[in-house]
Amino acid sequence: MATLLKIWPLMGRRILGNPAACLACKSARTASGSSDQPEVELFVNDIPVSVPPGTTVLQACAEVGVQIPRFCYHDRLSIAGNCRMCLVEVEKSAKPVASCAMPVMKGMRVKTDSEIARKAREGVMEFLLMNHPLDCPICDQGGECDLQDQSMVFGSDRSRFVDMDHEGKRAVEDKDIGPLVKTIMTRCIQCTRCVRFANEIAGVEEIGTTGRGSDMQIGTYVEKLFGSELSGNIIDICPVGALTSKPYAFTARPWENRKTESIDVMDALGSNIIVATREGSVIRILPRLHEDINEEWLSDRSRFAYDGLKRQRLVSPMVKDASGTLVSCEWEDAFFTILDRLTGVTGSEIAAIAGGHADAESLIVLKDLLNRLGSEALCTEEIFPMDAAGTDLRSNYLLNTQISGIEEAEVVLLVGTNPRYEAPLLNARIRKSWLHNDLTVGVIGPQLDLTYEYDHLGDSTKVLQELAAGTHPFNKVLSSTKRAMIIVGSAVLQRADGGAIHAAMSTLAQNHRVKSGCDESWRVLNVLQRVASQVAALDLGYKAGVQVVRDNPPKVLYLLGADEQTVTKADLPSDCFVVYQGCHGDAGASMADVVLPGAAYTEKVGTYVNTEGRAQQTQVAVTPPGMAREDWKIIRALSEIVGQTLPYDNLNEVRRRLAQMSPNLTRYGDVEEANYFKQAEELAKSVKSSLASDALTPPQLSLKDFYMVDSISRASQTMAHCVAAVTKAEAK
Amino acid sequence: MSVYLEKLRHFRLAIKQHGGIIGAYLNFYRTDELKWGDLIGEDKFGNKYFQNRHYFIGRSRWVQYSDAVGMDYDGSQIPPEWHRWLHYIGDEPPTTAPPVKRSWMVDHKPNLTGTPEQYVPYSTVKPKITAWEPPKA
Amino acid sequence: MLKAGLSLLRSSQVACFRQFPLSRTATSRGLHDFQQVAPKDCVSVVPYREASNETTTTTRKPYSPFRVEDPRNNMVDYVFARIDDLVNWGHKSSMWPLTFGLACCAIEMMHFAAPRYDMDRFGVVFRGSPRQADVMIVAGTLTNKMTPAFRKVYDQMPDPRWVISMGSCANGGGYYYHSYSVVRGCNRVVPVDIYVPGCPPTAEALLYSVLQLLRKVKQDKSNQIWYRKL
Repeated sequence: MATLLKIWPLMGRRILGNPAACLACKSARTASGSSDQPEVELFVNDIPVSVPPGTTVLQACAEVGVQIPRFCYHDRLSIAGNCRMCLVEVEKSAKPVASCAMPVMKGMRVKTDSEIARKAREGVMEFLLMNHPLDCPICDQGGECDLQDQSMVFGSDRSRFVDMDHEGKRAVEDKDIGPLVKTIMTRCIQCTRCVRFANEIAGVEEIGTTGRGSDMQIGTYVEKLFGSELSGNIIDICPVGALTSKPYAFTARPWENRKTESIDVMDALGSNIIVATREGSVIRILPRLHEDINEEWLSDRSRFAYDGLKRQRLVSPMVKDASGTLVSCEWEDAFFTILDRLTGVTGSEIAAIAGGHADAESLIVLKDLLNRLGSEALCTEEIFPMDAAGTDLRSNYLLNTQISGIEEAEVVLLVGTNPRYEAPLLNARIRKSWLHNDLTVGVIGPQLDLTYEYDHLGDSTKVLQELAAGTHPFNKVLSSTKRAMIIVGSAVLQRADGGAIHAAMSTLAQNHRVKSGCDESWRVLNVLQRVASQVAALDLGYKAGVQVVRDNPPKVLYLLGADEQTVTKADLPSDCFVVYQGCHGDAGASMADVVLPGAAYTEKVGTYVNTEGRAQQTQVAVTPPGMAREDWKIIRALSEIVGQTLPYDNLNEVRRRLAQMSPNLTRYGDVEEANYFKQAEELAKSVKSSLASDALTPPQLSLKDFYMVDSISRASQTMAHCVAAVTKAEAK
Repeated sequence: MSVYLEKLRHFRLAIKQHGGIIGAYLNFYRTDELKWGDLIGEDKFGNKYFQNRHYFIGRSRWVQYSDAVGMDYDGSQIPPEWHRWLHYIGDEPPTTAPPVKRSWMVDHKPNLTGTPEQYVPYSTVKPKITAWEPPKA
Repeated sequence: MLKAGLSLLRSSQVACFRQFPLSRTATSRGLHDFQQVAPKDCVSVVPYREASNETTTTTRKPYSPFRVEDPRNNMVDYVFARIDDLVNWGHKSSMWPLTFGLACCAIEMMHFAAPRYDMDRFGVVFRGSPRQADVMIVAGTLTNKMTPAFRKVYDQMPDPRWVISMGSCANGGGYYYHSYSVVRGCNRVVPVDIYVPGCPPTAEALLYSVLQLLRKVKQDKSNQIWYRKL
C-alpha cells in the first residue's frame, strides 16, 4: 500500500506564516531591512558580504554575484530544500550544506567552487540523471531546460548508471490535468515547484505528491482537471520538461523564436508579456517580469488565447453587396462607400462605440475625426456611472491604490467583483498578502471560492447603505486600520443604480480616510476595470456606456472593435449605416455594412492604460494579416477620404496629440496618480438614483466563465477546449 | 597533308549540305557549328536529326532545330524518343524502331517557362490564418 | 467623385494601402515581362507533323538576336526596346558565375566547368570574387550559419545580378528540410531566378539552367520599363 504523503498540506496560512522561510527575497529584505537588527557578515569565496539576518546562504551568494545551481528553490515560493543541487561547502561544517535552506550565520565561510561543492553537485546531478529519460531531442523544454543547462555546467561527463540487467529507468505514467498543461511525468525530478505554486500562489490545493523514494510521484491524487486560472505558470516554473504547454507542443525551439516584449490586453491589468513568434505567427505568449503588475505570472487567458489570433480574422475590407452579404473589396472601395454614406449626414447623426481592445492611438484619431465631422457621440462599451463627478475625476475610475498597494493593505473590501476571474493576478496578489501579511478580506457579492478566506457581508445593496452610514459590523474592522482598500468591480457599476453604488462606496472610503487618519498618499477607493481600453478611453473623454447612442439613434455608427453587442441592430434605425473596424469577425462585424480589417494587439504599436492608470505600449510582433492595417492608420486614411485630413502622419505625431489631450498617456511605465477623493465624494452626494434591491453579482462566477470574454478568446480553440474540460469536470 | 585535304573536303561537304556559302553562314551563326551528315529523321516539331560517324562519339549525332523556333531553340524541344537516340542511350532511331505507344503516354511538351502557358506553383499549405466568413444574408 | 478620389489616393499617403506597390524592384524582374513579350508561337504552338518526309510548311523565324515583336507606333519605345536588346546581348554573352559551392552539388558544378560540358563555350567563366560576378550559383545546402556570409556575398555583387539555385537543398531545404540548422531554401535570403531540381542535378541540368537564365536575360526590358514609367 502506497503511503499517501502530502508534503505540503498548507491548508491555512498559519503554516506558511513564517516570513523568513516563505517570502520572496525582496519582501524578506524589506521586512528585516526596516528593523534595526545588525547585518550579518559572511564570506562567499573569501569575498565579504553583509546581509540581514534570516537571509539564506543562496541569497547571500547572489548578492556578490555567485549563482548557485538550483532546481527546487524559487524566489517566490516557499523553500523546500529537496533537490540538493544547491549544495555548497561551509567551513567547519561536516557535510555540504543546502544553501537555499540554510540561514546565514556570522562569520560563515562559504565556498561555492571548492572540490567538495563541485563533487557534491556532480553527485546530485548523477542521481537526477540516473532516472531522467534521455529524450531531450523530442522534449519541448529543450533549450530552456534547467536540467540540461546545469548538467552541462555542473554535471559529470560519465555516469555510473550502467543498467547491466536492463532493468530500465524509473518510468511514471503521464497524467491528464487538462487541455493546457501537458505532463510527461517520467521527466519529473520531484522539485515540487508546481506543488508549491498550486498551493501557495494559485491557492488550488489539487497538486501534491504521493509515494516516497523512487516511487514518489507528483500529481492530482486522482485523475482530474487542474482547475486554476493560473495553471499555465507551472509550465514556466517547471525546471525540466515534465510540465509543458499543450498548445505549444512540438511547434518550435526557443532559440528559433523571435521574442517581442509587449503588453497583454485580455484583462485590464496590462500584464507584461513576451510574444514569441516564428515564421510570421504567434506561437506562444510568456509572462515578462513586472513587480508592480504581474510579478512573473500570467493568467491562462492571456497566455493561451493566442491561437484566437489566427482564427476568424478580418483579412480584407468588406462591403455589403446588393443582396446584403458582405464581400471582400479593396480599401478604396470600402472608404468610398463610407464617403458616399457620410455625404449629407450631419455631425449629430454620427456616433462611435469603442470596444475593449482599442488602443489609445486609434481612440484619439477616431475622436478627432468625429469631432471634425461635428459629432460628440463617442462612447465606450463598458458603462460607468456618469452622474455626479462621473468620469471627470480620474480617481473615480482607477485602481488608485495600485496592484502592489495590496501588499501594504491590511483590509480589503471587494464589492461586486470576482477578482479571481476578472483579474487573476490581482487575486493572486490578494492571496499573497492574505498569506503573508494577515490581510483581512471582506466580500460583498455572492459567496465564491476566491482562494482565500474572507468575511462574507452578503450580496444585497443594503450592506452598502449600512457601510456608508457606518452602522455595519464591518465598519469596525475598517476603522481598526489605516490601510484599507475598497475595490469596486466595474461589473456592478454597469447596473442602473451604478451611480448610487459608486457614491455609497465613495462616501464609505472618504469617511474612512477622515476617521482613520491615514496619510494623504493612501487611497481607499478603487475601481477594478475589466477591459484594457477603458481607462484610456475615459482619459480621452469618451462617454462611458452606449446610452448616448440609444437616445439619439445615429445614421452612421462607427464600431471600433465593439463586439459585446451593447448596441444591436434592433436598437438602431433600419437605415443606420454601421462601419465596423476591428481584428475579428464577431458580433460587431456581423451587423456591419462596411468592415475595415484592423490589427490585433500583437500586430500594432498601441498605448494601453491599465486599471491603475499606468500607460504601457504593445509592440509589433507580427504583421497584420492580409490587407489589415494598424487601426489609427485606417482612420487617418479615412479622414483624408472624407475631406477632414487629420494633421498627423506618423505614430510620433499621434502620440504628440495624445500627450496634448492627456499627458499621462505617453508617460510609459508610470502610474499617473489621481487624488480628488474629497471633491468626488462631495459631488457624489448629488447622485439622484437610489440603490436597487438586486443582488450584487459579478458576471464571471465560475472558471467556465473565465476563458471566453472577448473576440480573441472567443475565437480561440484552446479556450474552447478549456471550457469543455471544465464543463466535463463539473459534471462529474 | 592528306589530313588537311580531308578537313577541306569536310568543309566543302558541309557548305554544300547547307546550300552554299550564305546558308552555311546562317547555320553557323545560329548553331555555332558547321557539320555535315546523313539526315536520320525528323520529329513532329520539325527538328531534323543527323548522324555522321566520322565525328567522334558525343558529337556524331546532332539536331537541327526547327526553323519555326529561330534562335529560340531549347533542348526540351526534343521529344523523348529522339532524346534517347541523340544521347546514345540506343543506336536505333525512332524511324527504324518506333516507340510503343501506350495509353498512359502524354504528348511531349517543351519547357514552357517564360511563356504565358508556364507552370506557376501554388501553395498547398493550409493558411496560417483563417479568415472570417461573413454570414449569408 | 470616385475618380477624383482615386487620383487623390494615388498622390497621397493613402497609397500605402495599395496591396502591390507601383514601383518594381530589380528582384521582381522577370516573369511579368516576358509574359507580355514572348510571342505565342515561339515554342508552344508548332506545326504538328508526324512523318519525316513530308514537305515543310513552317514559317521561318528570323535569325535575330533581338526579340521579335510587332513594330510599334511609338518610335521612342522601339528605340528603348533595342537598347534593352543590346544590353541584354552584352549580359548574356558573358555570364560570369560566382561559385557558391556548399555541398555535393558543387562537384556537379565543377563537371559543368570541365571539358565535357565546357561552360566556357557559353561565355560562362567562374570568378572568385562577387565583385566580378553576374550570377551566383548556390550549389548545396545553405545552413543557418552560412546565411549571413551568403547574403553578404550576394550584396557585394554588382547589379544586374542573378541567382541560380542548384539542387534540392538550395531550392527548398531538400533532405535537410527538418534540420534545425538549415535554411529551407535559399530564396528565403536572396531572390532566385532559376531553380535547378535534382539531388544533385547533373552537370547537364546545370548547363540547361544556364541556358534558361540566358533566355531570361534576353527577355529583360528594364530600360523600356524605365521609359514607360516616366
